[in-house]
Amino acid sequence: MTTLTDPSGPAMTATSVRAPAGLPRLLPQVPGVPEDLRAHVARHGRPPYRGGRGQLIQSVEAAGLTGRGGAAFPTHRKLAIVAAARGRTVIVANAAESEPASRKDALLLRVAPHLVLDGIQLTAEAIGASEAHLYLHPGTGHAIRQALAERHAAGVDWLAVTVTEAPPRFLAGQESALVNRLGGGPALPTFVPPRVTERGLGGAPTLVQNVETLAHIALIARYGPRWFRELGTAREPGTMLTTVHQPDGQTQVIEAEIGAPLRTLVSGSAGPGARAVLIGGFHGTWLPAAVAATLTLDNQALDRHGAALGAGVIAALPADRCGLAEAARVTRYLAAESAGQCGPCLNGLPAIAGALAELAAPGPRRGTRQNAERWAGLVTGRGACGHPDGTVRFVRSALTVFAEEISRHERGLCAATSRKPFLPLPDGMPTTEDDWT
Amino acid sequence: MSGTTAFWYTSRATGIVSLLLLTAVLVLGILVNRQGRLPGLPRFAVTSLHRNLSLLAVAFIAVHVLTAVLDKYVSIPVSAGVIPFASGYERFWLGLGAISFDLMLAMIITSLLRGRLNRTLWRAVHLLAYASWPVALAHSIGSSKDLQHGWMLGLGIACALIVAIAIIWRLAHAARQVPRAARVATAMARHLPAAGSHHPRERISR
Repeated sequence: MTTLTDPSGPAMTATSVRAPAGLPRLLPQVPGVPEDLRAHVARHGRPPYRGGRGQLIQSVEAAGLTGRGGAAFPTHRKLAIVAAARGRTVIVANAAESEPASRKDALLLRVAPHLVLDGIQLTAEAIGASEAHLYLHPGTGHAIRQALAERHAAGVDWLAVTVTEAPPRFLAGQESALVNRLGGGPALPTFVPPRVTERGLGGAPTLVQNVETLAHIALIARYGPRWFRELGTAREPGTMLTTVHQPDGQTQVIEAEIGAPLRTLVSGSAGPGARAVLIGGFHGTWLPAAVAATLTLDNQALDRHGAALGAGVIAALPADRCGLAEAARVTRYLAAESAGQCGPCLNGLPAIAGALAELAAPGPRRGTRQNAERWAGLVTGRGACGHPDGTVRFVRSALTVFAEEISRHERGLCAATSRKPFLPLPDGMPTTEDDWT
Repeated sequence: MSGTTAFWYTSRATGIVSLLLLTAVLVLGILVNRQGRLPGLPRFAVTSLHRNLSLLAVAFIAVHVLTAVLDKYVSIPVSAGVIPFASGYERFWLGLGAISFDLMLAMIITSLLRGRLNRTLWRAVHLLAYASWPVALAHSIGSSKDLQHGWMLGLGIACALIVAIAIIWRLAHAARQVPRAARVATAMARHLPAAGSHHPRERISR
C-alpha cells in the first residue's frame, strides 16, 4: 500500500483500471484497512459520470442488481420510476436499516466510504437528482465526513451530500419513516401509497437506496453488467455483505458470492456448532442448523424453506443456548419498537412477546403456544409498515424450529447450559417521544 | 298560506333542522377525533355518520338560503348566502350565517380533497368547526324571532349545552391520552413482567 503515503499521488490521475476478479468487490483489499480517496482511485479510478439522466439505468438492469437493504427489490425499476418523474428528484442513501444484528452498513461506511459516495453521485446523475442525502446512525459518520471533505478538495462530486443522523430506533430506516425524519418530523412510518418514489422528501419523487446497493452501482458503472454477473447466481447476480454471528460469539462482516453454501460462512458448523440459524435478521426466519447447512446464500434456495436473505444477517445460535429465550428477548425488543400507530401492532406484539416470555421459562403452559400463533395471524398484514409482519415471521419460525424445546420446557426442563444472551440488542428501553427524532 | 309565506316557513324550518344537524355533526366529529363509539355502531360507522350528516346539513342550508332569497317579503340578494354582510335586511345576523356557511364549505372542500392535501392543512381547516358552529348558533338566535323565546329558545340552549359537554369531554379525554411511546410501554406492561432476563432460572442440563 505504498500509494497511501506517496505524496506525488500518481494514483489520482489514473483513468483506466482493470476490472478486478473475484472477491472482495466492496470491502478493502487489505482486510479492515479503510481506503481513502487516493487508495480508492488507485483501485477503481474516478467515478465514470455518464453525462446525463437515465444512462446508467440500463447497465443496472442488465446487471440484475437487487436492493441490499432487505427487500431485494430490482434496483433498476426504482431508478426508472424516479428518473421518469417530472421536476425535482431526491436521492437518499440509507445506512440506517436499523437491524441491530446487522453491522454491514456501518462497516461499509467506515472502510469503503468512497465507493458509497461514488454510488450516490453516479445514481444521482442517473435519476437527475438535485438533492442528495446520507442517512446514518450516530457514531457511524466519521469516515464519511472525512471522505466528503477529501472529495470536496479534489473536486470529485457534482452534488453536495447532506449527512443526517437517524434516531436509534428499529423502524427509523424504514423508507417513509426516513423521509419523515429528513423532512424535519419524527421518524415514523406512514401508510403507502403514495410511495416515496412518487412523493417523498418535500413532495419530490425520492429514491431511497441502501448504501451497499449504491456501492454495487458504483462498480457496475465502472466494470459493466457482464463483470457484475461473473459472481453470484443467474437469478441473483453479484456479491453481498453478510453479518455472520458465529456460534463462538464472534461477529464478522463477510462479503460473499450470492449462492455460496451457508456452511462456508458459519465457522465450526462441521463440529457440534449451532442449534439453529437465524437468517435475515430480526424480521427473518429461524431454520434448524441441519437444514441451514444444506442451503445456499440466495433467496431462491432460502425461499423453499420460507426464509429470505433480508439484510444479510446470519446468526448461528450456539448449541448451549436456549432458542426460546433468544426468541423471547428479540420479540420483546420488537414489540417495544412498535411505533404505536397501528392497533394490531401496538396491542398484538406485546401480547405475542408475553406468550413467548412464558414459553421461554420452563413449566407447564396451557394454550400459550396456540395463543401466540392465533395472535400472530391477527396482526399479519395490518400495519402501515411491515413491522408486524416481519415480527410474526420471526415468531412463527421460532415456534416451529424450537417446538421440541417448547415441550421440553413444559416438562420443566431446558437443554441450554448457558444463559448468556446471544443475539445483540441495543441497550435500554426507549420511553419518550423524543426518541423518534 | 300563500306562495310567499311558503318560502318563509321553509326557510325557517330548514334553518332549525340545519342547526340540529350541525350540532350532531360537531358532536360526532368530536367522537371521531377521540375514537369514541356510539352504542351498537362500529367505529367506521361513526365516521360515516359524521360525514353523511355534514353533507345533509349542507343540503338543508342550501335550501334554507335559497328559500330566504326567493321570499320576496324581505329582499335578500343571493350573494348574501356566501358573502358576509351583503344583505340590507338584518345585515349583521345574516352576515354571521354567511360566515358560518363559508367556514363549512372550506371544511367540506378540504375534506373532499383530503387525499391530495397534507394532514396538517386539512386538520387546521377542520378545526374551524369550533368557530363555525357558535357563529351559526348566534345567527340562528339573532336573526330568528322564534328562537328568542319559548321552547325554541330551549332547543337552542340545549344544543349549546350538548356541544359544551362534548368539547369538555374531548379536552378531558385528550388530557388523559397517553403519548405514543408511553402507549407502547403501557401495552408492554400489560403483557410482560418488568424488564429482566427471560431466560429460565431453573436450568437442567441434558
